[in-house]
Amino acid sequence: MSEELRLTVNGQPYQIYVKPKTLLVEVLRKHLGLTGTKRSCDSGSCGACTVVLNGMAVKSCSILALQADGAEVITIEGLANGDKLHPLQRAFLDYGAYQCGFCTAGMLASAKAFLDENPNPTEQQIRECIDGNICRCTGYNSIIRAITAVVNGDYKEEK
Amino acid sequence: MTEYSVIGKQVHKVDGPAKVTGSAKYTFDIELPNMLYGKILRSPYSHARIVNIDTSEAEKLIGVKAIVTGKDTLGIKHGVWRRFPELCDEEILCREKVRYIGDPVAAVAAIDEDTAEEALDLIEVEYELLPAVFNPLEGMKEDAPQLHEGVERNINVTRHIEWGDADEDFEKCDFIREEQFYSSPQAHVCMETHGAVADFGHDGKLTVYTSTQSNYYIQVLVANMLGLREGDVRVIKPPSGGAFGSKFELDSAQFCASLLSQKLRQPVKIILNREEEFTATKRKTPMYYYVKVGAKKDGTLMAKEVRVITEGGAYTAMGATALTLTGFYSSLPYRWHSYRYDGVRVYTNTAPASALRGFGAPQAYFTGESIIDMLAEDMNMDPLELRRQNAVTPNYEVPGQAFIQSCGLSECYDTIEKYIKERGKLPPNHGIGIGNYGFMSGGIFNWFNTPYAFSAAIVKINIDGKVDLFTGACDVGQGSDTALSMICAEELGVHLDDIRIHADDTDLGPPDLGAWGSRQTLMSGNAVKMAAADAKRQLIEFAYAKLSPNVVYDMDIKDHQIYIVDRPERKASYFDIVKEVIRAREGQVIIGRGHYTPHRKGMVSPAWGFGVQAVEVEVDPETGKYKLLEIVTAHDCGQVINPVAVLGQVEGATMMAAGGAFCEDQPADNGRILNPSIADYKIIRSLDMPKTVGIEVDTYEPEGPFGAKEAGEGLTSPTGGAIANAIYNAVGARIKELPITPEKVLKAIKEKEQQQEQKEE
Amino acid sequence: MIKDFKYFAPKTLKEALTLLDKYRDENKVIAGGQSLLILMRHGLVAPEYLINIKGISELDYIKSDVKEGLKIGALTTHRTIEKSPVMKNGYSVLAEMEQKLASIQTRNWGTIGGNLCHADPAGDPMPVLIALKATLKIASSNGERTMAAEDFCLDYFETALEPDELLTEIQIPPVPPYTGTAYTKFNIIENDTPTVGVAVSITLASKDGNCQDARIVLGAAAPKPIRAQKAEEILRGKKLTDSLLKEAGEIASTECEPISDIHASAEYRQELVRVLVKRVAKEALDRAQQY
Repeated sequence: MSEELRLTVNGQPYQIYVKPKTLLVEVLRKHLGLTGTKRSCDSGSCGACTVVLNGMAVKSCSILALQADGAEVITIEGLANGDKLHPLQRAFLDYGAYQCGFCTAGMLASAKAFLDENPNPTEQQIRECIDGNICRCTGYNSIIRAITAVVNGDYKEEK
Repeated sequence: MTEYSVIGKQVHKVDGPAKVTGSAKYTFDIELPNMLYGKILRSPYSHARIVNIDTSEAEKLIGVKAIVTGKDTLGIKHGVWRRFPELCDEEILCREKVRYIGDPVAAVAAIDEDTAEEALDLIEVEYELLPAVFNPLEGMKEDAPQLHEGVERNINVTRHIEWGDADEDFEKCDFIREEQFYSSPQAHVCMETHGAVADFGHDGKLTVYTSTQSNYYIQVLVANMLGLREGDVRVIKPPSGGAFGSKFELDSAQFCASLLSQKLRQPVKIILNREEEFTATKRKTPMYYYVKVGAKKDGTLMAKEVRVITEGGAYTAMGATALTLTGFYSSLPYRWHSYRYDGVRVYTNTAPASALRGFGAPQAYFTGESIIDMLAEDMNMDPLELRRQNAVTPNYEVPGQAFIQSCGLSECYDTIEKYIKERGKLPPNHGIGIGNYGFMSGGIFNWFNTPYAFSAAIVKINIDGKVDLFTGACDVGQGSDTALSMICAEELGVHLDDIRIHADDTDLGPPDLGAWGSRQTLMSGNAVKMAAADAKRQLIEFAYAKLSPNVVYDMDIKDHQIYIVDRPERKASYFDIVKEVIRAREGQVIIGRGHYTPHRKGMVSPAWGFGVQAVEVEVDPETGKYKLLEIVTAHDCGQVINPVAVLGQVEGATMMAAGGAFCEDQPADNGRILNPSIADYKIIRSLDMPKTVGIEVDTYEPEGPFGAKEAGEGLTSPTGGAIANAIYNAVGARIKELPITPEKVLKAIKEKEQQQEQKEE
Repeated sequence: MIKDFKYFAPKTLKEALTLLDKYRDENKVIAGGQSLLILMRHGLVAPEYLINIKGISELDYIKSDVKEGLKIGALTTHRTIEKSPVMKNGYSVLAEMEQKLASIQTRNWGTIGGNLCHADPAGDPMPVLIALKATLKIASSNGERTMAAEDFCLDYFETALEPDELLTEIQIPPVPPYTGTAYTKFNIIENDTPTVGVAVSITLASKDGNCQDARIVLGAAAPKPIRAQKAEEILRGKKLTDSLLKEAGEIASTECEPISDIHASAEYRQELVRVLVKRVAKEALDRAQQY
């Protein structure tokens, strides 16, 4: 009963076979071993499973894997280039924009998708871009500061 | 102000690179070879006798490897308050009866999660329903259904704290206020739910990987429950996705996974789903408060009487501590001439109530800070002034209870007063409310009955100068790994990246009570500092002999240089000395040891953190909806070890505390929690989060490492009261029951309008 | 736990309708799945056949025409509507509603058609569409039909769709001159499911003229979105003063039958309707005057 699924994850093309009921997050975590993306609720409400799909932030627990057939997905593992961290990751380190870290993969995905589309957002818009991601540790403001610093150009992409 | 090399500086937290790249492996991510997946069957009834459990159909399901019930356990009732066996009342896997909806009755291990879940549906449990009680006021009645044998009227724990003669003092008061309050339940909502991977080997030894605040507690409790020697249980704490007080007791995932693994000699993984997380883990203790306060017209606070009834839920858990602490915090942070507290914890057929960040303080301060504002209004006194006039001061003794050394409340009041003045005249329907607090830096009590020092550490210096730091302290996101590494580096005179901390394995480090009661910076920090100092002494002894000054001089280490303090140009390289010391000792690595248990520090805590918070709200008087605009906190945590982490604690604690007042609640119907999902349990998100400002006032705590004390839990204390006060100041609506919903605010506004209309007639 | 199912991913509307015809009683259609997947994960819905229509690009479009008005394909995502440049003037209320519908992640993947077919009485789009007098185009392998948006929802989570039918298009007529439409939802947490939702559309006879037409639509105040027709009636033909709008709010609050649940009591919801209808009508009036 398995169906073929072709998708690109973090620049790497895959061809795998999955049961239709498999969720995208299950493919990422179990089939591809990319455990950086987490699951934290059963109601599609927390955002911990957020990844970037065709440039959009989406909840990978609320998408059937087969619906992502042909898609390009980026997870937290795909942000750094070898040992060169993405500007958002460097900003998160500098601003302590994480504590337990469980929401971090989703936060980075939401932020990346948003900034790639909106390089000059207002503070309100930055707040909105992570509104679908719950964090129980930081109170969000350090994450806002980190993203704002990237928007302000404090972190140039390392080549 | 001392200039430090490492502490107080802006650093990357040591767990940062793993977390921002997604390479940190949580319990949630662990997959072991030959591993099975477990699920737990839970009672759908609030109170029932278990007549029979038939697992035969479930066992036939292909892929099911084992099913366990209470009959497969040793029948031990465990508890965290081990000093009091009558409070050790929880079997986890119930044998004779279930006491709340969610109480476990069976656990299944299968080849995958779907099979395990299917198996649950096939287990037939026959229950005999028993009458249940859901409210402690009902539970205390003579004829109420009894939850635990021998516990009459379900009165689980009582607590009494008293000094002076409150009744006599009330006679002398010019102003008296009596009120009743209710503080609601709240869920921790850790992003990583409870979970464990248990691996019982053929050598008879058990390893448990689990998300926990105290791997030592779990080690002891699991060993006890399974009849194992403590030393044969190894608990490893991977990076942990949040705890907030929910993860330092033995939970159903840890116990059932261990039991199944013991039976099968295969690893078993159990991760609770979000519904189980909401309904079947411990939660914040709901409390009914009666408060009476009295003051003289010169502004002196004379007497306070507090009576509290807490909804205990089905088991004791850490609820006895919450009962004790709430009674103590209700006296802070003022110098009451007399004080009397009587607390009662009552068993009810609801989810067990235990510890949530603040541990009785948010409840105490919601009520205490509300009533102080009410009293100030009666006295026609500025609420900040009433507080300031009566606040505890440095070196104050709470009569017979606690000795407070450092206390920065005065500076905190100044800071908040300045902020309020600068804010100026507020627009209509805006209000600023204040709240203040004092909070412990760990407790001196040993209810767990450990023979060990409360904290201990080992420092090992290797030939290349790199340092391994072994401690039992647990980092659950609050940053203790980094703070302790910084303390170690500062004391030893090396850089932060010379330290590698091992704080996650009971086999590797000495025991530590864990991350709760805001104890680790002070207690674990002291142990680490002592261990580093011990190792440092060994290096300095050798360096002293080598440099051979002809006068007795002090020496120290800073920035990899071991130098004579008064003659800093005479120095030797740390790296060279390390090599030589190891050489001189027949090649042994350098080991330093440290430990800390508070003593001679009163009956509650070795040190106290303080703070004053101002909250500004804007209320919509037609709907009762209010916005949290800004929250400013001036707080005293002694020497700041890691400034970025402290700010994170201010903001995170504020979000959690504000949530408890603003939107979080667990409405229930006959013991059934009605909103066990993140869709229905409302939490503050980034668009709802107000602007926050955290200001540290400069103090030095002699008991703490480099003068540091708690920051992170106390900060949950003042927000409930401050919000209630702010709403009152905005629109004259006083809400005494949490959470403060728009519906309640609107009702209060309308009642006030009616009262005013009646007055005018 | 999701039960196994047979999966289809038709690429055209025709293919999809053929499948619906074939698997009439045992199928569920999934578009964005933002509502459906949660129900499936909890075992509340367990179809034998799942038809994924998200890939039918011919149903993903927004067409704007001066004479015909707006035509939105059922598979257009919330985010596309929110960011579309044609959502201005009389249609700006659609973008505003979409922006507050839910998180960006949900809006990126969820579709307006999926939302309407889910028929949650608290849904945001339906009250706005009813206020804008939208019609819905429905297709089956036997042909097409249209119906007024306000007739689409029958009850809680129940629509007028037959088992072999698909919603294909939302049609919004051109906005008459001096018309303003506004929507507000009440919640404690931003972008959350509303406790109540109110959409009002006002058409004036002229810039400062009397009210020619009014629509007051309430969400989360009954088993399906409803029009407060008595409240609408007192506005028609009149000069809209603040006290008249207040009266409309009062009447509207008596026309709804909200439930009491863990988030709010029925009385409070009625109170919210009373206040919000007044406010949203005022907003709509201001927009009508600025047309």
